[in-house]
Amino acid sequence: MSYDYDQLDEPLHWGAAVLGWICPGMGQIMTGHRRRGFFSMIGIFGLFLSGVLIGGVDCVDRSEDPLWFYAQAGTGPIAFAADWANAGLLKSGKVGELVESPPSNPRMAPPLMSTFKTITVASEVGTLYCALAGLMNIVVIFDALKRRPAGLNESTRGDA
Amino acid sequence: MTIIAWIPFLQPAGVPENYWWVLMFPLVFGISIAYRATHDHSIDHFWYRVSLFTAKSILAMGSLALVLYLFVYWIIPIFHVG
Repeated sequence: MSYDYDQLDEPLHWGAAVLGWICPGMGQIMTGHRRRGFFSMIGIFGLFLSGVLIGGVDCVDRSEDPLWFYAQAGTGPIAFAADWANAGLLKSGKVGELVESPPSNPRMAPPLMSTFKTITVASEVGTLYCALAGLMNIVVIFDALKRRPAGLNESTRGDA
Repeated sequence: MTIIAWIPFLQPAGVPENYWWVLMFPLVFGISIAYRATHDHSIDHFWYRVSLFTAKSILAMGSLALVLYLFVYWIIPIFHVG
């Protein structure tokens, strides 16, 4: 176990945590741990963008999959941007076409669905990628919250 | 022509049928990067540690899948349930 237990006495760095939510990894970069921050950024953005690439922007959907979105929102504004793109481009029919889909209730009018909507396993995989990106960013945010700024600790030499 | 018409990020790239599990490798790799970046006291030999963590995680999940496979297809039929 290589965790630094001295960090438990460290004051909370709320600014770094907020910055880490706005842009994954920026919390660490702000506190001087540049390499650590860049690696976190690569991991989080890599996961999220891979998810959207695999499943399309439809795999981030605040109205249809709210529970998944809570996890995805951990990635920060990029998740809200993807949801906005889904609602503004796909669901509005600006990109692709809207076609009638079978209604869940036969007495209701058939709902309209974008032809770009993902209904295969790609949607599940993409959703999972984006959700795990969000959850991992929460880990990164907690790390930024407690990590001692570089320069205050001898053991951080070579980190930045 | 299908590839030319594809709009990245708006349309799904899709997953090869029956090979969706291959996407576990990049998924674990991405998680490993974020995990090792925050967990390790030092980030020397970062990519080596990430590769090792990825390999261990995949091996663990593969082993678990193998155990479940043996349980479902070999152990359960022994009891002749139903």
